Order: sequence, then C-alpha cells, then structure tokens
Amino acid sequence: MIEIKQLAKKFAVENPKKLSEQEKKDPRLKGRFFHSVQDVSFTCQKGEVLGLLGPNGAGKTTTLRMLSTALKPDGGSVEISGENVLENPVIARKKIGFLSGSTGLYGRLTGRENIHYFGQLHGMSEESIALRIKELADLLDMHNFLDRRSENFSTGMKQKTAIARAVVHSPELVILDEPTTGLDIMATQTVLEFIRGLKEQGTPVIFSTHHLDEVEELCDKVTVIDQGSTMFDGDIASFKALAEGSLHQSFMAAIQSTASE
Amino acid sequence: MWLVFKKEIKELLRDRKTLFFMVALPLLIFPVLIGVAGFVSKQAMDKAENQVLNYALVGGQYAPEIVEDLQQPDKFKLVKISEDADYTVIIRDETVDFVLVIPENYSSNVLENGQTNIKLYFNDAGLNLVYRRVNEIVKSQSELFQQRAFSVLGLDEAQQSALIEPIVLEKMNTADNRENWGEKIGGMLPYILFLICLTGAMAPATDIGAGEKERGTLETLLISPIDRNKIVMGKFLTVAFAGTMTALLTVASMVIWGLVLSQGMAIKFVADFMAQIAMLDFLLIFLMLVPVVAIFAAVLLSISIYAKSFKEAQSYMGPMSILVVIPIMLALLPGVELKGVWAWVPITNVSLAMKELLKGTMDYYQLFAIFGSTVLIAGALFAFCVYWFNQEKVLFR
Repeated sequence: MIEIKQLAKKFAVENPKKLSEQEKKDPRLKGRFFHSVQDVSFTCQKGEVLGLLGPNGAGKTTTLRMLSTALKPDGGSVEISGENVLENPVIARKKIGFLSGSTGLYGRLTGRENIHYFGQLHGMSEESIALRIKELADLLDMHNFLDRRSENFSTGMKQKTAIARAVVHSPELVILDEPTTGLDIMATQTVLEFIRGLKEQGTPVIFSTHHLDEVEELCDKVTVIDQGSTMFDGDIASFKALAEGSLHQSFMAAIQSTASE
Repeated sequence: MWLVFKKEIKELLRDRKTLFFMVALPLLIFPVLIGVAGFVSKQAMDKAENQVLNYALVGGQYAPEIVEDLQQPDKFKLVKISEDADYTVIIRDETVDFVLVIPENYSSNVLENGQTNIKLYFNDAGLNLVYRRVNEIVKSQSELFQQRAFSVLGLDEAQQSALIEPIVLEKMNTADNRENWGEKIGGMLPYILFLICLTGAMAPATDIGAGEKERGTLETLLISPIDRNKIVMGKFLTVAFAGTMTALLTVASMVIWGLVLSQGMAIKFVADFMAQIAMLDFLLIFLMLVPVVAIFAAVLLSISIYAKSFKEAQSYMGPMSILVVIPIMLALLPGVELKGVWAWVPITNVSLAMKELLKGTMDYYQLFAIFGSTVLIAGALFAFCVYWFNQEKVLFR
C-alpha cells in the first residue's frame, strides 16, 4: 500500500554559530548540512494503523512532511499503491489526506467554508462536497458549529474541522502529525474514534504521537525513529516483546538497542 | 487560480480591519480630516484678520494721516508706552502687537525730502497678518504722495506709469490652460495614487503570505493538488485587485468630495479642465495603474511569503513607501521626459505618462515602452514569487 525506503533529508545550516550546544553535539550535523532524516523505512498495508514514535527532534514531522509531499526528500523513495510520490506529487496529493500538528484554519471563513474550499481545491463537484461535509459533520459531531466563523472555535472544534478538511476528498491514505497534542480528553477521544472509523473502512493511517496508550489502543504497527533513522519497525506484538512490562520500556529499549550498537 | 482568488477576496471582505484601510480611510476619514484642517486654518486666518491689534506709536505727530487711519477701534488699539521702552521686550510680553516708528523727515513732499523709512517692529515668527494690515494703510499714503509728486512735476498718465515701471517683461504663455494645469496636477497625481495603491495592497499582501504561514494554513494549502503557480497567481491577483480598488475608490471619493466641498466656486474650472481631457486619456490614466500595481503586488507578495510572521512582513514592507516615492520624484525633475531611457524606468515612466496624459501631450507610442518594461519587471518578480513558493527554506523557515 505505502512503502517508504531509506528516506533522507538534509537542511542547509545558514548560520552554524546560532546553533545551540545540544544541536552542535548532534551527530546528524555534518559540515554545513543538518541531516534531519537519514534512513527511515517502513511500510503500511491497507487497513493498518501505523504509529510513528520518537523523541522530540527525531525527524518525525520531517518524515511525515516528505510523505505528504510538502518537502522533497534528498534520497530514498515513497510509493503509494505503486505510484511514485516523488515523481508525481500532484497525483500523490490527491491520494493523501494530511493533518499537520501546527495546522490552522482560515479564521474569517466558517467551518463549512474552510472544508468547502479544500474540496474545491481537490477538484470535487459542488454536490459531492456538500454530501461529504454532511457525512463528516455527522461522523465528527460538528453540526452545531459548522456555520460559525472558525476564529472563535475552541481547540477541539478547530481540530475536528481540520480533520474534516484533511479527509474531504476521501483519501486513500491518511497521515496525521500529532493529532491529539494539546486536545482535551473529549476531543482526543473524537480523534481516536475517527482513526478507528478509518481503520474499519480499510483506509491506512499513519500517525505520530507521544502517547503510548493511543498506540496500544489503535496501532497494528509501530515505527520508532531516533536521530533520523528507523530504530524499530514491526507489529505491535513484537514491539511489546522488546521489553518486559509497559510500552514505555519497549520504547526505551527500541531507542537504546540501536543506539548502543 | 480563480478558486484561490475568489476565496481570498471573500476572506478579505470579511476582514473589518483591512476593509477599514481600503474603504473607510480614503472614503470618509481623509476628506473629513482635510475638511477639518481646512476649516481650522480658515478660522485661524479669520482670527488673525479680525483680531484687534495693540500698537504703540513713536513720532505720530509727524504723520497725522497715518495716525488717523489707525484710529479704527475694531482693528487697532493704541497703547501708551514709556519713551525708553525696549520694543523687543514689550512685544514679547504682549503689551503691544507692534510698534510703528515714524521718522522726523516724514513729509508729503517727496520731491524735496526723499524717501521716508518707517519702521515696523513686530514678531514675524509664526502666522500673523501684522505686516499686511499695517502695509495697507502705509501703502495708500505712499500712493497719495506719489500722485502729489507727479502732479507737481506735471506728468501725464502715460509718463507716470512709465516712470513707475520703465520696462515691463510680459509673460506670454504658449501652453494652453490644460497643459499648464496638467503639469501641476499631473505631478501630484502619481504620488497620491501610487501611495494609496501601495497601502491598499499591503494589508491583504501581509495576510495572504505571512499571515497564512503564521496561522499554519500554508502547509495544508501547499499539499493540496493545485499547481503552485496557480496559488501564486490567485494570491497575486488578490493583492493587485485590492490595490487597484483602493486607488479607484480614493480617486472617486476625492472627486466627489472635491465637488461637494468646493460648492460651485471652482466647479466651473474643474469641469472645463475635465472636459478638455478625452475619455480615452482618462481610461489610459487608470490603465496606467495596472503596470504599477503589478509591480507592487509581486514585490509585496515575495516579501510576505518570505516573512515568518505578520510583524516581520510589516516591518519589511515599511520602507517600500519611501522607495516608491523616489522614482516619482525623478519624474518631476526638469529634463526627465517620457522618451528614450526614461520610458523604460519603472514607476517613473508611469508617473511621466500620467502627467503627459493630463497635459494632452502624450506620445502614445511610448505606451509600448511602459508596458514592455512593466511586463518584463513584473514578470520577473512574479517568476521570483513562484520560485520562492517552491523553496522549502522560504516556506518552512
């Protein structure tokens, strides 16, 4: 379904003097370039939910941005249903629904208009947009605020609208970058429900998170990234088997096992 | 492309703040402010004209006519001062507004006594009409003396005027009324139009680039399956449209308010002037805005996309208005005309063309140069915008 092989991305460092001590110690800094992502590979099949784990600054967001074609990788390949994303970003964009952690809405448009606009950008017809908005509003319980200006939305309302916007074109693959960060328990639950719904429909979901309980609840597969490289890639059972006790221990083990090599 | 344009316009129209700058400011506030300023300055002038001036007179006994003329209680009031008073001091502490010193040799017999030198002490810093008001009185006396001397000499009228001004240099203006006023108004018009255009385009430009980055909507927009070129084009058109609309609204409001405020007195002149300008030229003047707006929009958009936040964008755009003034000023320099190299200098060429159009001396072939240079510059800037929109380091700064 989606196959990512040896993805790599480096950023030019404009002013090396400005880097913090910690950044200078990072082995990913080589000369004038910071190799944010060096070697990330994983696969996700139809109906699977993949949890992307890793400490802050590990390269999760960069990886997901490359998947969503916002950034262009320097190496490696991304294939969605056999379609090479790097060669054909526009086709890939139609197949992907992406929700970034730092996304916002157009504050002066209503929730409905926000979703509508992206439906139009995806080349959908008016009827299908209207139909889809109704469907998503039912699913995410957004009817009571859909026609208000989004600048006054609560965080939960915003996130729901953003999710609806990301999947308005019924994508084949959904990528969520820390979708539950900063949300209250109710809103988090809605997001998790939504991911579950996608899973039932057979749509693969890749999402990054810091909450291991979400991983345990939803994920079929786990990928752990640290310092720009894949440290672990496998199903949830083998992830659990990495260490005795909780998933936290497994996570630490995944990071340390390769770090000590 | 039109999708992006439509959405941006819709969003723009819902933004009260931007609308305020685009519509309310030129339509209402500016004319009101100008009106208030005019009213206040007229009041001040009236006050200076009608104010009763306190004065002191030294040597009044030599010039009874002047003393008599000064006896208008609603205009002047005599104040007694001691003989050794320091004029500077008494004027500073406002005991008197002016001191008039008439010399001993004051006499109506100009031929014998020669020129008389009357001294008027007053504080000439700041707005006042002291000199003018006193001069009115002195001048009428002066003319009277002149007449008396002429009659003593027995000169006829022709001789008199020849004596007053032996040679006259008469100005014969070959420029007609339109050319004359076109030069003056045409020099001002670009200043107003361009700067308003720029201000009008600035607010939406900030919102559309840096604003979108700040709100986090840019990334989502970039991964939607629409060409980057089309996104840039849509945004570019929005900025250009906003700028043009602001300029047009301003001009319209200036015309309407001008007609209202002048209340008939200058209307005939304005109407005559307008009537001389062909419809085509009017259209061309507004058409001239297109190249300017295109350049503005492209520059503003590149700045806005590069900036990380609203604030950054605004501080980058600030110096723009100063930069714009320079080429307009160049157009006012003598010798700078709409031909040769100058026709290719952006903004300067348009300022010159506007002037020529108003004057009615336009060389229409120069339009090729104007639009040619604009297409080149705006096109290059636009390409740069698109290039920047494809740069990861600019977008994810």
